[in-house]
Amino acid sequence: MPKVVRTAEAPITAFKTTRCHNRVMQRRTFVRAVGGGAATAGLAGCLTRENGEDGENGEEDEGELKVATYSSFVEGELEDGDSPAEWLKEAFEAEYPDTEINWTVPEEGLNLYIQQAQQESDVDADLFLGLNVDDLVHIDDNLDEQLFEPIGRDELENANRIRDDIDFGDPDDRVLPYDTGYISLVYDESAVETPETFDDLLEDEYENEFVVQNAQDSDPGQAFLLWTIDRYGEDDYLDYWQDLQDNGVMVGDSWTDTYFGPYENEERSVIVSYSTDQVFHAGGDDPDLTRNQIAFPDDQGYENHEGMAVFADSTKTELAHNFMDFVLTSEAQAAIAEKNVQFPAVADEFVDLEESFYDYAYEPEESVTFTYDELDGNLNGWVDDWEQTIVQ
Amino acid sequence: MAPSDEHDGARNRIAQRPVRRFLEDSTLADWIERHALTLTALLTAGVLAVMLYVPVGIVFSNAVFVDGVPTLRHFQEILADPFYFGSLASFFENPLAIGSHLSAIVGWIGAVSISLSLETPLPGLDVPFPWVSIRTPGVQGGLFGFTAYQAVLSTIASLALGLPAAYVLANYEFRGRQTIRSLTILPFVLPGIMVAVGFYAMFGQAGTLNSVLGTVGLGPYSFMQYSPLAIVIVAHAFYNAPLIARITVAAWESVDTRTVETARSLGANRRRAFLDVVVPQLLPAVFTGALLTFIFTFMTFPIVLALGGLELATVEVWIYDRMRRLDYAEAATLAILETILSLGLTYAYLRYESAQSGLSRAASPPGREKLFPDLRTALSPKRLAIVGYGVVALIVFVGPMASLVIGGITDSGGFTLRHYSFLLERQVDGADFQTQPYPAIRNSLLFGLGTLLIAVPMGVVVSVVTARAGRSGAIIDTLAMVPLAVSGVVFGIGLLQGLVFGLSLPFGWQFQVTGAVAIVVAHAVAAYPFVTRNVSPLLSNLDPAMVESARALGASRTRALLDIELPLIASGIVAGAAFAFAISIGEFSSTVILAGGSDTYTMPVALERYLGRRSGPAIAMGTILLAVTASSFVVIDRVGGRFEQ
Repeated sequence: MPKVVRTAEAPITAFKTTRCHNRVMQRRTFVRAVGGGAATAGLAGCLTRENGEDGENGEEDEGELKVATYSSFVEGELEDGDSPAEWLKEAFEAEYPDTEINWTVPEEGLNLYIQQAQQESDVDADLFLGLNVDDLVHIDDNLDEQLFEPIGRDELENANRIRDDIDFGDPDDRVLPYDTGYISLVYDESAVETPETFDDLLEDEYENEFVVQNAQDSDPGQAFLLWTIDRYGEDDYLDYWQDLQDNGVMVGDSWTDTYFGPYENEERSVIVSYSTDQVFHAGGDDPDLTRNQIAFPDDQGYENHEGMAVFADSTKTELAHNFMDFVLTSEAQAAIAEKNVQFPAVADEFVDLEESFYDYAYEPEESVTFTYDELDGNLNGWVDDWEQTIVQ
Repeated sequence: MAPSDEHDGARNRIAQRPVRRFLEDSTLADWIERHALTLTALLTAGVLAVMLYVPVGIVFSNAVFVDGVPTLRHFQEILADPFYFGSLASFFENPLAIGSHLSAIVGWIGAVSISLSLETPLPGLDVPFPWVSIRTPGVQGGLFGFTAYQAVLSTIASLALGLPAAYVLANYEFRGRQTIRSLTILPFVLPGIMVAVGFYAMFGQAGTLNSVLGTVGLGPYSFMQYSPLAIVIVAHAFYNAPLIARITVAAWESVDTRTVETARSLGANRRRAFLDVVVPQLLPAVFTGALLTFIFTFMTFPIVLALGGLELATVEVWIYDRMRRLDYAEAATLAILETILSLGLTYAYLRYESAQSGLSRAASPPGREKLFPDLRTALSPKRLAIVGYGVVALIVFVGPMASLVIGGITDSGGFTLRHYSFLLERQVDGADFQTQPYPAIRNSLLFGLGTLLIAVPMGVVVSVVTARAGRSGAIIDTLAMVPLAVSGVVFGIGLLQGLVFGLSLPFGWQFQVTGAVAIVVAHAVAAYPFVTRNVSPLLSNLDPAMVESARALGASRTRALLDIELPLIASGIVAGAAFAFAISIGEFSSTVILAGGSDTYTMPVALERYLGRRSGPAIAMGTILLAVTASSFVVIDRVGGRFEQ
């Protein structure tokens, strides 16, 4: 039964005050200023009281889909042209006129929603775009209930277009892949020979020349660690890392730190990076790609699939599925591949990608990847052993 | 104003104010004036409770409760783990086995050997130095041991680079002195990634320094790889030496040198008078700077990994990683140990500071000599040493920032403005859900100004309440320094879980705090300790008799503060205000967390979002950040300078 909702605005100050609002469940909301003295004037606190009654959907807009993703998907990777997020929003809203895509980029990434679920507050988005397989393991390590609901494949026309070999191996089938990419080595051909194998990196040629990212919290860093585990096995990968350390490997932090720091400033000549590296340096008629050579050690690349999933709390399941289906259309797959600089998730016949895309984006002969089952229960232990080896 | 006039001025104010106040008395204004200090103190306590103690307490509670049952299990596990505490772990594991600990120590001392040799420690320079090498049987410091070790080295380096700057800025007059003083803490606002990129661009094999050396046929040297630890320490000095310099300059400019004249007239030579009179008035500020530097570098995070790599990991790296895994218990336990250590040191220092009782009755700083009055003076050893220091400062402080600025206007093909035109296009054509430069600049300035206005009264009040209040004052002051001593990662998660998600109160109420105003208050909480730490040493230097006389003449405590103490410590307040502004501009995590999904982003946040697969746009944004902050510092110092004598 609707009761009086009192809303008291905070005093107008030079700063924007935010009202507490919640799209999913209607709550009684008070916005009020806490205190009033000089030191705290204008601190907008917000007291809300749980109502417990559903169904007051006054402010809910049927056609709004809140999609959480990572920053470069929204900001764009390339200098000219739209970002993938801009393109998707425009194209989808044109196809479904009564809808609106709202992008959000939480600084804490997926952890924001895991923590919301842990605290039993409402998860504040409908769809997450940008999941790797290790994210699923991480969710299940920290939550008993489901954060994402299983994909309704029956509702999707285009789900069967996805390449057969792109599979998260998720027992709950929560994720739909939308693109894939390869971790490789990138090197400076004027400084070092092509690193052909993993063992090559232990040679004098690469002494103090190799930089990798921190496997604790960097995607390519973790990918490279897993790749070495695949290559040398659970029992021997730490020996390989010790040898790398003896040869002066630098274990930096993020991809950004390592690439823009030691690599770009010619302090190191081999880096773990993406096999699409040249795309970012291929502008102009005669691009100089000396420092952007791609090497696949042992003819392998580590493959990272990116996927999307619908939050279990979302009331927009149908809209979310329409959106995911749209993401798998030929045009969207081509646009994402070009603008996100990754490879399409659908089989070749379902995407019209210009042949020139592959001039600078390389695929390895063989790809290595870990599935859910392989990571589940192992990942943290592998990283623990690795970090102790590096830091000791 | 000459020093003696100023002193009389202060005295006149003491005499005149109460009379005037008495004439214009009105009850409400009077009541407010009498209780202003108490009210501000209570508000400060309230703000701290909501914005600091509650959020941090929520996270810390993970360390001491398992399913609601209190436990010390996590502490036992971590203290007894050699990975964290090295050789100390066996002590923590069994603290009562004193006999075996003692014999271990004796055995260790017996195995120490010391040798003297000639070494050439400078890369590329074939100059031998006598080198004392002490060989010890491996002491395993563990993660905590290494973290403390690099913090000590960083503090020493920061003092070595910061104190000469303070000396020059306080004692010599030269063109641009005031601007340089305003800009000293510029490094403070730079995000870690920009410092790392700046350091590689300056000291790398292909960097600016090697290019300059190359023009005279030297190099290239691999500065970055020679010793990663040394580079990390220099980077810590890049951040913290300016802090030591700024705090010390503020103290130097408040020194009461008339006592020097007294000492000289009593027969002390210049050196003696300096050591006995000026140095004791500077020491609290120098120790403050050293303490802050130790705490910051103890809790250092992105810069060690970016420049040194994971081999040089510190405790904060582990806290960040465990928090990212959502392993709250281990993260919180590590963070509590970190905080205990920082607060312990702070308390020890504050006991010393509050025991100081100065005799300073007016700011009468030493007159400033001209730096280069004529050629002969310019060639004196002292001036040459200053020039030498200037070159070092140019390399360490200006070099990385200048290299960064250059990086923003170059690409592989040479000079380019395309990174800036990208920012401009983003501003003009960007979608509204994308990050645009102008709102970032505007928000940064508004938040910075708001922070300054809140943090300065908060910081001054804490100083006034705690200065000379003995042990209880030192305890309150220590608690007030918690923002400096708490891991930034923990503070961020606490704000998220406590204030953004909302706290459950009795009767079904939820308490939530988000939005721009919350961001400003969070910034102020992080910033006010800098005001306090700049103001307190100066306040404790003042002669307490002055305030007592004013009070005896009928002035309220607030009036005495405003009319007598504040004018004498104005240089500390201006320095504190500049720090408050800088903290707000540089702040990252609470800004994004409290934004709560809205678009209240600032310059460092915009910079981080522009970090895609190309460095150019982010570096261009970093240059804008530097330019905007630099001009703000000049304005703050100029406006503040009107209150300084």
